[in-house]
Amino acid sequence: MSHSYSAALPVAHIVLKFLVVLNWLSGAAILALLVVMPHEQWIMAEFGLSPSPEAERLVMGLRAIAVVGLATIPLNHALLKRLLAIVGTVRAGDPFVAANANRLQAIAWALLALQLLSLVVGAIADAISTPAHPLHFDAGFSINGWLAVLLTFVLARVFAEGGLMREDLERTV
Amino acid sequence: MAIAVKLDDLLHDRRMTLTELADRIGITLANLSILKTGKARAVRFSTLDAICKALACQPGDILRFEPDEAP
Repeated sequence: MSHSYSAALPVAHIVLKFLVVLNWLSGAAILALLVVMPHEQWIMAEFGLSPSPEAERLVMGLRAIAVVGLATIPLNHALLKRLLAIVGTVRAGDPFVAANANRLQAIAWALLALQLLSLVVGAIADAISTPAHPLHFDAGFSINGWLAVLLTFVLARVFAEGGLMREDLERTV
Repeated sequence: MAIAVKLDDLLHDRRMTLTELADRIGITLANLSILKTGKARAVRFSTLDAICKALACQPGDILRFEPDEAP
């Protein structure tokens, strides 16, 4: 078991560092989409739309989804950086500390916010999707996502208790 | 903490240093210092047993309940 742990932790560290960079690149891409290419004509051409109230609604909706997408970048960053710090403490052999309980709590709140934003994206996509131009976004209610939120909140509590027990043990003579 | 550790007094009576006691009972000096300064959260029975044997005393000679003064 210890061999799989020793291999998993450096891999997790590298993957998380990569995801931090990828997250910022995604943010830059969304920002570019919003700022550099805001022209309706370009978007309409991409979707094969002719100017109409329905097309304008679609463009507005897509822009709103992009703005929501931009809001997820700092949340993802906060989540990934804290996860990276937790992996660091596990590698150092001291994961049951109060700081990790606080980090998990922050991750749980970030996951909750991401789930709420996912609901917003799902609602916007439903509102602007038409039979002629159906939109399929991987967003909306996800039982797994909400379970992850719940699990992380519980795990944060477990780590807080574990930290207290560890502290007690350290001061047991 | 209302529990006071009287290890210092006992060591003085027995003319023994903390280092000597640590050597005799096989507990690190750092851990024994934690106990002596009253910073310990808990004491194992095995530790009490070893200290009582080394100092020929009772657990009550080491630990004493001293109620905190009312604010």
